[in-house]
Amino acid sequence: MIANKPTQSDVVGQLTDTLPTGRTAGRSRLLRWLLTVGLIALVLASIFVDTLTSGVGSAFLAQRFQTFVTIFLGIFIEAAPFLLAGSLVSGAIAVFVDQSLLDRYLPRRALPAALSGAALGLFFPVCECGVVPVARRLYEKGLPTSIGVAFLLAAPVVNPVVIVSTYAAFGWGPVLWARVGFSFLVATVVGLIFHLAQAREILLPRISDAHAHACDHHGHAHSEHDSTLAKPKLGVRVQQALNTAGDDFLDMARYLILGAMLAAAMQTLVPQSALLAVGRGPILSVIAMQALAFVLSICSTVDAFLALAFSGAFTTGSIITFLTFGPMVDIKSALMFLGVFQRRVVLYLIILPLLLTLLIGVFWNLNIGL
Amino acid sequence: MQSLKTQNAVKALLLIALAFFLYTRLANGTLYFYINARFVGFTLIAVFGLLAVALSYRFGQKRPQLADEHGHEHAAAAHDHQHSHAFSWGGALIVLLPIALGLFVPPQPLGAAALSNREINSGANSLDTPAVARAIEEKAPASKNLLDWWQTLRASANPAQELAGQAVNVTGFVYHDERFGTDAFMVTRYVVSCCVADASPLGLVVHWPQAPEFKDDQWIEVKGTFAPSTIEAWQLPILVAESVTPVAAPNHPYLYP
Repeated sequence: MIANKPTQSDVVGQLTDTLPTGRTAGRSRLLRWLLTVGLIALVLASIFVDTLTSGVGSAFLAQRFQTFVTIFLGIFIEAAPFLLAGSLVSGAIAVFVDQSLLDRYLPRRALPAALSGAALGLFFPVCECGVVPVARRLYEKGLPTSIGVAFLLAAPVVNPVVIVSTYAAFGWGPVLWARVGFSFLVATVVGLIFHLAQAREILLPRISDAHAHACDHHGHAHSEHDSTLAKPKLGVRVQQALNTAGDDFLDMARYLILGAMLAAAMQTLVPQSALLAVGRGPILSVIAMQALAFVLSICSTVDAFLALAFSGAFTTGSIITFLTFGPMVDIKSALMFLGVFQRRVVLYLIILPLLLTLLIGVFWNLNIGL
Repeated sequence: MQSLKTQNAVKALLLIALAFFLYTRLANGTLYFYINARFVGFTLIAVFGLLAVALSYRFGQKRPQLADEHGHEHAAAAHDHQHSHAFSWGGALIVLLPIALGLFVPPQPLGAAALSNREINSGANSLDTPAVARAIEEKAPASKNLLDWWQTLRASANPAQELAGQAVNVTGFVYHDERFGTDAFMVTRYVVSCCVADASPLGLVVHWPQAPEFKDDQWIEVKGTFAPSTIEAWQLPILVAESVTPVAAPNHPYLYP
């Protein structure tokens, strides 16, 4: 009883400490979301005002808005099943995968860790929408940071479904091998760069807390817990998994929706010709295709078919860059990264693949062929 | 959202609303305005998946603890845990956005308006980008759609001359452009491999003296024959129409490669 008292007041103290800050944090988050949405609306509005005053009339405005809504809903409806699939995998991992399993089988040394992260996609065939909740859940299970980063970047390309669709579009040829190989390479390199980073430094606080939690207990004998607590029945565990999947889906859906809106707005407002007019030289063409990949935010399973349409007019290097950079980073997935990583890290995760794929594309154009 | 019960109820309702939204789009056929028909099965699976996930919240009063969190249930962890699943009203509003936009903006496929932003594949410009390079099916000319014709065009070294005289019967929507002049328009379709985000338009220039009678986005069936022509220095076959009939918009507005 006496020993209990201070802990109880501690807890109360903690609660009173954290409650107001928690509420303000929630409010500022709401404010941030509203500001983001407001900003998008403002950008749209300014364009619409422009078209209205230019005399084209409200019919044109309505058409622009209609186009925006159609593209936005297109991206969302297309991505929703895959996000749900990723969330279900995440829920299943949360309930059915013991973290000691990860400790036992995943390498901790730098290079093996990055390599295995980049190859993990072969066993989790998820696309760029599904990979984010899975990676996040694995982080909460104590996955090393480098493996997670490499997995996140490589899985959208280094997986059976995407390899088959790229084969369908380009056949067995340099584009297919270069796409898979370079995605693997870039993901491994970025994973290595993040090898020394602490989870606390890169992950969002609540994920790194769970991560630290998992790692703290990684030395403990797990059988101790298992023997003291009877595992719940399968039905209950399935329900837990579905519950977790629902939480994950709704959480990530926010990022997906905002990302899809941004991508749709860009598609409605920025003419593709403006991006592609940037240039067709060995260097500028690569940059133009990177910009296009970032803006389009299309799914990695089909971007090969779109790239095919450009393959005659654009350099091979730029096509390869389009096919490696796009799946790793685009507006939609960058927004979704915000649900896992701190903002600073998301910036790194955009810039590092951007520079590496730029290097690869330019190198290809200058040394291997246009 | 304070209580766990409210949170779970809101989450379940949001998931059900999303499932219902997807289902209505599927049921009334407007889903084809957004995605390639190949992916419609996934949407159907998602409807059931969302419902299953939503129903799992039905024992909402007490959230079952995860198996491996049982072991270390000290106060801090419990607090973190609750915090991590907090779902704000702002988040709920964002999830409602697609539903709200879907309800208040009548669904429409991409049309002539979107062409202005996709110039690279429209009109004469599109001729410097090769379309899909898969093998061209040996179809009878009269049953070729715009995509088939496009591939025939791409495969030909000198399409303007080689295709001249062939009979054409295609369906698409009208798109006017100054480059075509007042007695011509383009009969246009979008090709969608995944969703409308990757839509690329293609079309044939139709010569028809009464071209101005048809407004942009009007769906038409064009019958005619190819004749060699030049548009903006591009040698290409122009479709000289014998008849242009207004038709209802097809159930599948896009072509799939």
